[in-house]
Amino acid sequence: MEFTLLWGALAGVGGLYLALRWMARKDTTLCVGDLWDIALGAGIAGLAVGRLAAMIRQGVNPLAHAGDVILIRAGVDTVAASAAALGTAAWLGRRNLREQLDGMAPAVLVGLAGWHLGCLLRESCLGTASSLPWAWAQSGSEITRHPVELYTAAILLIGGHFLFRLRLRYPAPGTIAGAGLAVAGLSRLATEPMRVSLFGGPVGWYLVALIGGATAAIWAATRPRPEPAEDG
Amino acid sequence: MPVVVAVLAAGCSAAVDPGDVGLLPAITPGEVQELLAGSTEPVVLNVWASWCIPCRSEAPLLREAQASFGGEIRFVGISVRDSQRSARSFLNEFGLDSFEQFFDRDGVVPGTLGGRGVPHKFFFAPGGELLELHFGVIDERTLALNLDELLRRGS
Repeated sequence: MEFTLLWGALAGVGGLYLALRWMARKDTTLCVGDLWDIALGAGIAGLAVGRLAAMIRQGVNPLAHAGDVILIRAGVDTVAASAAALGTAAWLGRRNLREQLDGMAPAVLVGLAGWHLGCLLRESCLGTASSLPWAWAQSGSEITRHPVELYTAAILLIGGHFLFRLRLRYPAPGTIAGAGLAVAGLSRLATEPMRVSLFGGPVGWYLVALIGGATAAIWAATRPRPEPAEDG
Repeated sequence: MPVVVAVLAAGCSAAVDPGDVGLLPAITPGEVQELLAGSTEPVVLNVWASWCIPCRSEAPLLREAQASFGGEIRFVGISVRDSQRSARSFLNEFGLDSFEQFFDRDGVVPGTLGGRGVPHKFFFAPGGELLELHFGVIDERTLALNLDELLRRGS
């Protein structure tokens, strides 16, 4: 039995936690406990729904073979997982939705970057063949390849850092969350051509995330802000 | 709603029978070596068993891979420490009967190639050079990468 995926997951969760703690030191309006609960709950729900969706898509009956749910390596449906995670986050943060999602978005991008960097622990960073100077080969092979997972992680880290800097300027609620979704979509869309895959990734959905997130960010940023209530 | 009903119905269905899948031929370590040495195509050798839960989870992926690359890569399966009826039922259930399938009741063949446990997969270049040995369930990206390596290094 292999547990290398677990290391990747721990890198992701660890990245999320450290990013939240670091952000809270710079931005005292953040409530780390609430955001941690929402992000973790959304992640667990997304993983469970994504795994069930993958089983159904592969023709494995989840009722007859309930134990197979824990075999994460056998496949997780990215679109179903993302939709479930976003839905759960929206539900858990519903009392102050846009502010909660804004607070969480940069840290979630760092957490996702941690998951992709976890490829170094499970030796699965490589994509299509490449002769670029930084390409490398898997052990026992002479075919050098794009370290595509590191590219994805780099986009996510840069995006997370940019969004956190933007957050310190207090943009309109919802702007950071929309931009975060766009960065997540971009990170996969830009690197998909360098991934090796039997079926190809859900490129259309990555595009939906990019355009939908960017549209939401622009819409939120250009909305008039509510006037502060006047006393007396 | 129809999807839920279909899932429930499938969950309550009786055990799958072997269908048209015939008896799997037995194979010895020497015969496997001959098969690999004589192959002009790269070979993916999958070691599996019907009682192995991870094997069931990865079976649809392997079926799709064989459907996509079966013309360029030879997909071979060896059922180990299993019964003929259970193994054939498994192949019938997952549509893996288009693989070249063999039967190794005592599970001695994989050990002679360096394998252990179930499932695991060997990736061989034409002529039988072992390029990669993967233990446990294989995910789609890892399988795709190893198939790409086989095609590039085998050509």
